[in-house]
Amino acid sequence: MLIAILNILLLVACAPLVSGLISGIKNNLRMRRGQSVFQPYYNLAKLCAKEEVVSETASWIFKAAPLVVIASMLTAAVLMPWCIVAGPLRQAGDLLALIFIFSLGRFFLALAALDTGSSFGGMGSSREMFISSLAEPVFCLVVFTLSLQFGSTDIAAVSGMHAVSVASIIAATALFLVTLAETARVPVDNQETHLELTMVHEAMVLEYSGRRLAFIEMAAYIKQMILFFLIAQIIFPIALPVFGGVSEIMLWLLWYAARLVIVAIAVALVEVSVAKMRLFRVADFLGYAFVLSIVAVLCALLGV
Amino acid sequence: MDRTDVISTLKNKLPGVELLSVAQPYPDELRIKVEARHFKQTCLALHTFLPSPIMMQFGSDERAAAGCFTVTAVFVHIRSAQWVSVTVDIPPGAPGFDSLSTTIHSASLFEREIREMFGIEPRGNPDLRRLHLHDEVWPQGNFPLRKDFRQPQPGALSGYIFTRVEGDGIFEVPVGPVHAGIIGPGHFRFSVAGEPIINLELRLGFTHRGVEKLFEGKTCADAVRLSECVSGDSCFAHSLAFAQAAEKICGATIPAQAAYLRAIFLELERMYNHAGDIGGMALDVGFSFPAAHASLIKEAILQLNEQLTGSRYLKKVNAAGGVAADMAAAKRALLLATLKRLKTDFQELVKSLYASASFMDRVDTTGVLRRKTARDLGVVGLVGRAAGIPTDLRRVFPGVHREAQFKMALQESGDVLARLRVRVFEFEESCRLIETFVGKLADGQTTGVEPQLKAGSGLGYVEGWRGPVLYWLKIDSAGLIERCKIVDPSFHNWPGLAYAVLGNIIPDFPLCNKSFDLSYSGNDL
Repeated sequence: MLIAILNILLLVACAPLVSGLISGIKNNLRMRRGQSVFQPYYNLAKLCAKEEVVSETASWIFKAAPLVVIASMLTAAVLMPWCIVAGPLRQAGDLLALIFIFSLGRFFLALAALDTGSSFGGMGSSREMFISSLAEPVFCLVVFTLSLQFGSTDIAAVSGMHAVSVASIIAATALFLVTLAETARVPVDNQETHLELTMVHEAMVLEYSGRRLAFIEMAAYIKQMILFFLIAQIIFPIALPVFGGVSEIMLWLLWYAARLVIVAIAVALVEVSVAKMRLFRVADFLGYAFVLSIVAVLCALLGV
Repeated sequence: MDRTDVISTLKNKLPGVELLSVAQPYPDELRIKVEARHFKQTCLALHTFLPSPIMMQFGSDERAAAGCFTVTAVFVHIRSAQWVSVTVDIPPGAPGFDSLSTTIHSASLFEREIREMFGIEPRGNPDLRRLHLHDEVWPQGNFPLRKDFRQPQPGALSGYIFTRVEGDGIFEVPVGPVHAGIIGPGHFRFSVAGEPIINLELRLGFTHRGVEKLFEGKTCADAVRLSECVSGDSCFAHSLAFAQAAEKICGATIPAQAAYLRAIFLELERMYNHAGDIGGMALDVGFSFPAAHASLIKEAILQLNEQLTGSRYLKKVNAAGGVAADMAAAKRALLLATLKRLKTDFQELVKSLYASASFMDRVDTTGVLRRKTARDLGVVGLVGRAAGIPTDLRRVFPGVHREAQFKMALQESGDVLARLRVRVFEFEESCRLIETFVGKLADGQTTGVEPQLKAGSGLGYVEGWRGPVLYWLKIDSAGLIERCKIVDPSFHNWPGLAYAVLGNIIPDFPLCNKSFDLSYSGNDL
């Protein structure tokens, strides 16, 4: 139990590093020196120390939303089978619960963005809902693929006990496309832009500052970590070696981290090599992901 | 139709109008003076048969010398390569003139400017809101370009009324004047139905510094430096237009060497801006690799500028009478070598953009400015050429460009892609022009003359990278500037942006805006 909790804390603590790593890789690819990979931590520390400004027209929803968002992501993190067969709260929820927990956070964030009455918040909310309404079904189908293979929607379906199959590879590809949308990456969104009019996720959180913004950002990092972990776990399933010496554990840890880095590199490569899509083309993009996930389900049913 | 034909045609078209005076002080300027009551009629006739938008229109306070204000409208006649201006005297009692704006759209902004700066009423202009002197801070009844203006006197303040679009599900999205990026200040008010833009209203003037007033009373040498500061990305085009106006008035003929050097620097300015804009368009659609590539090219040109002249933005190069920078053999070799490298780099950049389906999908058919709209609005320069208006001052008034067989860029579709293609073509053409001009340079030539001070007025004009930069200059007998009217192409083209974005979705606005890349400071003066 203690190891499991430590494990979760470690992964949550490493979550911002993944974002830092992606910007590091991107900057290298673009011949730039760029910021340190630890910049996300500095940003979080800075935000926590900053004064918070809350719009006069904002209600309690605006103030409560960041807490709901961070709490839901932490709950999701607790459910995840990071290294052992399942998280400490394995009985509390299955893979489907994960989807709903994600939705809960998003719902409150969209509501909070509307709450201040700023036009950017409204634009951000409507775009986020448009995108997530297309991304969520894909996520569900990916989960079904895994469950069909495992025979249950138990979260242990992604715990590394399964073999890699055609179905799981296709499901991982679909999940990768959804991840780009869910983590506000090019070609769906652009985290680096300063252009308010083009933002999706950033437009929703424009009104936030200080500690509450730090909560929202941390939640986004955790969500990204969970999605990356899922992709890595589907393509490169590994389980904790039950017996083994220190060197074996070290090797295992290295491979564990390397899988996440591989996903991060893939995301960074996509981000520098394509332009952001026109907003309404996102429907096509996530449509492809949907088709892929249906194929994955069919493959799982056929047992390949 | 040659030069004299303009007058005879005009007389035929306007049987009842007496031309008070017709003068041709310089081969490229034809000046007509009419009575104030014939102003509108004359301008409409010129607008139709030249045909030309209003290239500039300005007031002048001549009360000390002639006891009246004047208003001048300037047209360009492409076939005979001359500027045709119509001037009227306006008595100072209750100054006003008949507005052209209901027929000639390109006059409307100029008229609003004349009204706020001189208090001369454009009678019949439906939109009298002030442009640069914002009603919230600048009291009414203060006209800064009048000669007797010293300090603003207290007076009534008012507000600005935006156009309201009404209907089900229409939202207003106000953006600016403070933006998230390091760009100029401008207020954009979108009326949207969901994501599509129904109306865009621009409110500019936030960088109004009173530049035209600052010119007054300066010597030409000081004023050249000031002209470099009018619009930071067009230092050379502005100083060149000013210098040409001053040289014209002084009757100075600049040495051939200086003419080539100016042409070279003008093209270098065009190149670094075009490269920067192409990168900016890539960046605005989140296509970051080519954006980084383009910024390398831009930086290489800026560094080249510094090595050649000591200034990255080509400041302190121009002077009335020539250029301060010489280009010895070593610098010429450096220039040619850098150009060769840049050309290959640039081709790679263009290839990576044109070969990317995701990028082309963003720029193709986005932000279309149709040719008819562009013509009606009087859109000029690069944006005009992308919409099928074949006008480039380098072709109308070729000068040294004739020797290089200058080729003009032209596109028909008027979308972001067309504006990108015009930039690509012009960048490559600029490389070629510079190579030709460098071949004509020689060591040890004089690059400037000392201009003789003379009173008079004249028009300086340059095809800068955005389009025509115009300076109308009047120098008094002491050699000091009495009036300087500046028109940056941005002033003509901002209304074009408001039309180009209609029907596009809001997230595409930054891309449309970047493809125009207009100047705030050049517009606000």
